[in-house]
Amino acid sequence: MPALLELQRAFAGALLREYERDIWAHIAPEGFSAPERLRIYRNTCRATLVETLRMTYPAVARLVGREFFEHAAGKFVARYPARSGYLNDYGGEFADFLAGLEPARELAYLPDVARFEWALSVAANAPDAPSLDPAALAVADAERLRFAPHPSVRLLELAHPADEIADAVLAGDDAAMRGIDLASGPLHLVVHRGAEGLETERLEPHAYEFVLMLCGGETLGRLLEVAPKLAPELLAAQLSKGRLSGFKVTG
Amino acid sequence: MIPAVAGVGLRFAHHRAVLDERPAAAWFEVHAENYMGGGRPLACLEAIRRDYPVALHGVALSLGSAEGLDARHLRRLAALADRIDAALVSEHLAWTASGGTHFPDLLPLPLTEESLGVVCRNVEHAQQVLGRRLALENPSSYLRYRHSTIPECKFMAAVTARTGGGILCDVNNIYVSACNHGFDASAYLRALPAPAIAEFHLAGHRLRKFEDGRSIRIDDHGSRVAPEVWALYAEAVALFGPRPTLIEWDTDVPPLAVLLDEAARAERILREERAVARAA
Repeated sequence: MPALLELQRAFAGALLREYERDIWAHIAPEGFSAPERLRIYRNTCRATLVETLRMTYPAVARLVGREFFEHAAGKFVARYPARSGYLNDYGGEFADFLAGLEPARELAYLPDVARFEWALSVAANAPDAPSLDPAALAVADAERLRFAPHPSVRLLELAHPADEIADAVLAGDDAAMRGIDLASGPLHLVVHRGAEGLETERLEPHAYEFVLMLCGGETLGRLLEVAPKLAPELLAAQLSKGRLSGFKVTG
Repeated sequence: MIPAVAGVGLRFAHHRAVLDERPAAAWFEVHAENYMGGGRPLACLEAIRRDYPVALHGVALSLGSAEGLDARHLRRLAALADRIDAALVSEHLAWTASGGTHFPDLLPLPLTEESLGVVCRNVEHAQQVLGRRLALENPSSYLRYRHSTIPECKFMAAVTARTGGGILCDVNNIYVSACNHGFDASAYLRALPAPAIAEFHLAGHRLRKFEDGRSIRIDDHGSRVAPEVWALYAEAVALFGPRPTLIEWDTDVPPLAVLLDEAARAERILREERAVARAA
């Protein structure tokens, strides 16, 4: 009789790799063979993870069509098992996976659309956090202020206009899709969840660099040094959008 | 506390309808894992919670893991239970994780003394962190182990006796497993301790037929409750008395009205039992 720990490892192995047979001898046949019974569980696991990817990547799914998405997602699921029972965390590697998938190469923008959709998903599911009230800053030593971004903030630098592509394909707007200049990149995006829901904004490169430093915890003193003219305006914009959640004063 | 009446499993597709129409559902149950982030889902649940009792049903705690529980997942579950002041928290007699990999399905346990010790330890750990009693649900299963020594109904009863936890008696799962493994569903019910029954679950399943004539029942929560399961439910209610009863539907989720209709049918059975109890 195997210890439970070993039995579960062997069962897990059989779910991940169909050729692993260590578990078979422990399963009562009762009209169905061990591999037939294991297949029921394997299929449910696979279908759930594929469906999770479809929910996270609706624009990618539309762009490649049902059949190819099933194929690509199935391959991804086989290579990347879930690491947690919280499935909103699942599928972050899908963009890089698509970039390496030979049949997807002709859609050069596909991985960028996936990166954009992953950012939207992370932003949608990020923990709740307060928006920083600018009035709270009055008391602080401004030079040594460091800001904490809202947990939903994601910054993306993409080679293709993934936001436009995702909008057009999800709206089923073929004319808009044809009108997109695929060579208009690179693109700098900030995605976050504000009071009204998910927001995506395109930033100029210098503003993007500023927000990157700001959200990376750079001191206000340093930010003012780097962008003396623009810093007040850019900082005010991030505060009013609810992209900052807190601050601390450090050396 | 969840009243001993029929409620409905709440899915994202029905958030809007519930918030806008405030249907006459007695209570809702949600999958805990769907609300462990922030944002809109959690905000909707909190708004719904203001008007309805809400039970939390976990699917990924892996109470059967020999490795013990994932502390982070347990903390998330406890935080959610506190945040929405869950009226009842339940999980499954199953395992879903091994060696850092999570399997999104309820995997079957060998029913042995060792497994009983593992499940009791994990239930006690969970109850300690949750600060609440946990109800354990019997799963549908598609395989049994050669070395299992304890019938599932006795295993469930033993966990309750040792941990003080409750039993979420899933009537559809009993029926599905009884058909798949050839045991007597009524005898299963009779082996459960009545005072521990915290809730009933009802759902649809499908009969998967193979070309060679063999068949197996799959618990897919994708249709109305089967007539045989309604009959078994009536038996359970007569045996244990009225308990909170939930209609679950997860595949091809229909309009909310269909779920409310199924709940009304369960409610008629509960009402009959209350009338019988009053007359006696």
